[in-house]
Amino acid sequence: MLEMFQYDFMQRAFLAGVIIAILASVSGTFVVLKRYSMMSETLAHSALVGVAVGLVAGYNPLWIAVVVAISSAWLIEYLRSSFSLYSDAILAILLSGSLALAVIIVSLGGAVNNSLFSYLFGSILSVSGNDIITILVFGTISLALLLTFSKELYFIAYDEEVAKTSGIKVKLLNYLLVTVVAIIIALSIRVVGSLLIGALMVIPTVTALQYRVGFLQTMLISLLVSIVSVISGMILSFYFSLPSGATIVMCVLTIFIMSLVINKK
Amino acid sequence: MIFKTPIFDVKNLSFNVSGQKILSNISFEIFNSEYIAIIGPNGGGKTTLIRMLLGLETPTSGEIKIFGKKLKNFKEWHKIGYVPQRASHVDANFPATVQDIVNMGRTSKRSLFSSMGKEDKEIVKDSMTKMGVLDLKDKMVGTLSGGQRQRVMIARALASKPEILILDEPNTGVDMVSQKNFYKLLGRLNKEENITIVFITHDVGVIADDIGRLFTINEKAIICNDPKKAMSCDDMSKLYGIDAHLIHNHKHEHKEF
Repeated sequence: MLEMFQYDFMQRAFLAGVIIAILASVSGTFVVLKRYSMMSETLAHSALVGVAVGLVAGYNPLWIAVVVAISSAWLIEYLRSSFSLYSDAILAILLSGSLALAVIIVSLGGAVNNSLFSYLFGSILSVSGNDIITILVFGTISLALLLTFSKELYFIAYDEEVAKTSGIKVKLLNYLLVTVVAIIIALSIRVVGSLLIGALMVIPTVTALQYRVGFLQTMLISLLVSIVSVISGMILSFYFSLPSGATIVMCVLTIFIMSLVINKK
Repeated sequence: MIFKTPIFDVKNLSFNVSGQKILSNISFEIFNSEYIAIIGPNGGGKTTLIRMLLGLETPTSGEIKIFGKKLKNFKEWHKIGYVPQRASHVDANFPATVQDIVNMGRTSKRSLFSSMGKEDKEIVKDSMTKMGVLDLKDKMVGTLSGGQRQRVMIARALASKPEILILDEPNTGVDMVSQKNFYKLLGRLNKEENITIVFITHDVGVIADDIGRLFTINEKAIICNDPKKAMSCDDMSKLYGIDAHLIHNHKHEHKEF
């Protein structure tokens, strides 16, 4: 099995994959508890607009995806907190609108379809040395922010109003969370793909919730499920020439179903 | 006469929604170590009033001062413990042990990057002991009974060492025996810990012996200084009427406008 590590691209993919597994599960815990699961899907589609612009204009798609995802996250949070609109409807509009825009940009620019396909479903072949540096730098900052404010974010997820009346800067921290989530999603689309990253954020936490344990244990189980899924997904992806994102998601789904059955008793 | 800064100083408070008056021209003061019950019909504005005191709703007009400061300038929110109406309806799947919830009470008091210190842990333990939930500390909140959850929520509020506790219908979904024990607990916190208590309730009969003042809210406020007589006094008969008028009281004087 070690033979696959002889390839540089596999070493890079594994490094990127494990970092993303950590980022997706830690941020995913807050995403699920705050009922932002659909938001992560929407941000992943928004990031695709950045990828499309990057591909057509010849810039690094990952960087532009980060910028577009953050802008989209702020817009969603602003609409959610400022207007009593139907928040799921806002997400549905932005999700389909972003995907349509990304496809049109790519079509008009004549970018190669294969490139877009790899960003939709993830490709371990596509992780470059530069991508690793970007993922490491932004990933470390994102993780540090999440861990620094984890107690506050947990309190907000439990009860936003009580947190506010306890003097916690709820609005600021909500913006911080969606910004960090947007960054993590944009970073993840190389390995997992924009259509599937939402699953990697949500399913490990939902799996952990089946065990009905406290906050810290829930986050640790989520982390373990995520890392195991990413590693096993990438190994299967390598040996069976499958898209990495789809394989990872099938692995995390398998663990989720097993947890459901175990905890049903 | 000793001059004391009230915890809450509310003047001419009004709140309208889409042109409809929810609260109009309410004024009162709440002083340290008072024990106040707020009653009134559904939709009379009790919860809205409390939400305005906590800065969760913005009044249409009027002024609220907390510990002598205008609400927008008030920063010491840890001095106020709030237990909302829905507190006992915790999502059964929310990953929180009793300890996790009570720890939240220390969150706003800690500086950035610092984890729970020895003192924080002692305060959390002390709060759980006072509310009789220390034995449950490793239990998931979702598995507790309504009464137990309620005590956990108050332990969380106590962990921030508040000077005032504000509770919105704390006994929703709690059985009668638990309710009586609960009011005994509130009374003890008020007397022994010197914590000011303000709560919304429907069960005036159960608590009438203990409370100091009774606020009845139905768009306007009727403030009764002697709750023992409240059940028979005219004020109470007006409680559910639409012509409720404001009687503004300081501790022992009685003015009628």
